[in-house]
Amino acid sequence: MRTKGFNLPTEEELTVEEINLSTPSLRAGAFHLGKYCETPSQEYMLCRHEEKDIRKCVDIGKDVTACGLEFFRKVKKECLDEFTQFANCIDQSSVDFQFEKCRNTQAAFDKCMLEKLDMHKPQHGYYCRAKVLKTDRPKPPGYISPEFPDAPKLIPIPPAEELPEAKHGSRIFVWP
Amino acid sequence: MASKMPPIQELPPPGGYSKINFARVPAKKLVSGLTLFGAFVVMQFGALWVRHKVTRPLLDYQKIEMRSATIALLPFLFAERDRAALLQMRRNRDAEADLMKNVEGWEVGTYMGEPIYKTIDEDGWHEPKKFEYFEHSDPMYLRTFADCHLRR
Repeated sequence: MRTKGFNLPTEEELTVEEINLSTPSLRAGAFHLGKYCETPSQEYMLCRHEEKDIRKCVDIGKDVTACGLEFFRKVKKECLDEFTQFANCIDQSSVDFQFEKCRNTQAAFDKCMLEKLDMHKPQHGYYCRAKVLKTDRPKPPGYISPEFPDAPKLIPIPPAEELPEAKHGSRIFVWP
Repeated sequence: MASKMPPIQELPPPGGYSKINFARVPAKKLVSGLTLFGAFVVMQFGALWVRHKVTRPLLDYQKIEMRSATIALLPFLFAERDRAALLQMRRNRDAEADLMKNVEGWEVGTYMGEPIYKTIDEDGWHEPKKFEYFEHSDPMYLRTFADCHLRR
């Protein structure tokens, strides 16, 4: 469904070494992986969102995969036993890969990652927060930054000492 | 002789028969209706309180944890998916050129030179439908990807 004039990357450009792991293993390392590869991940998601064209983000995508591979190689070298146990537990304890059933193996894995690789597990809910990325990548042509002229403005309130005396009683206590 | 003895007649026991008990015997009243209703209300609010203080925070914690893991993994999955999608598009284009090489006037990606979209220029990107990736493959092969929902 694509014409000859449609530029596509060649097969050599698209063939890189992929992360050859299954879902339980990926989820077992997810928290440390996300922190380790935070910058390329955010760059990639921003690129996909801004450009709206996955052909322009192929190079950043390669960085993301290379970073993930590097992380899992480190884990394989240092914490293979703990990682395998944790992934196995995630795989076999529930149908939707919950972490709730695997707190013991998770604690062992976190401890190993902290001691041998000095990788902290981020705070609970870290990945669900919105983040702002400072990037060098130029904005795509035609990109319009959103403006909100109707947004409510902050009302300047002077400090309590400068306020005039209240006319009808105390400011602190209000009769119900 | 035995026939000379007077016969023993059946008579009521001394003091007469006891009275037949036909009066209604109601069940013992342990608690009143108002107490029962009060207990019901207390239990309902107790259950609500337990759900609010114990169950709901636990479920929220698990939900946020599961979602965090998914969000942390998404860039890696998207990177792999995008590369596979671009590769498949190239293969499809080559397959179509090879398939229609004997048809005169056929241009790849168009119907005899008429493009699919008039407002999108030739090099412009639009997200293809899922089926478009499987144009030249076995239809049964689609079943493998029935649960693949990783789209923009």
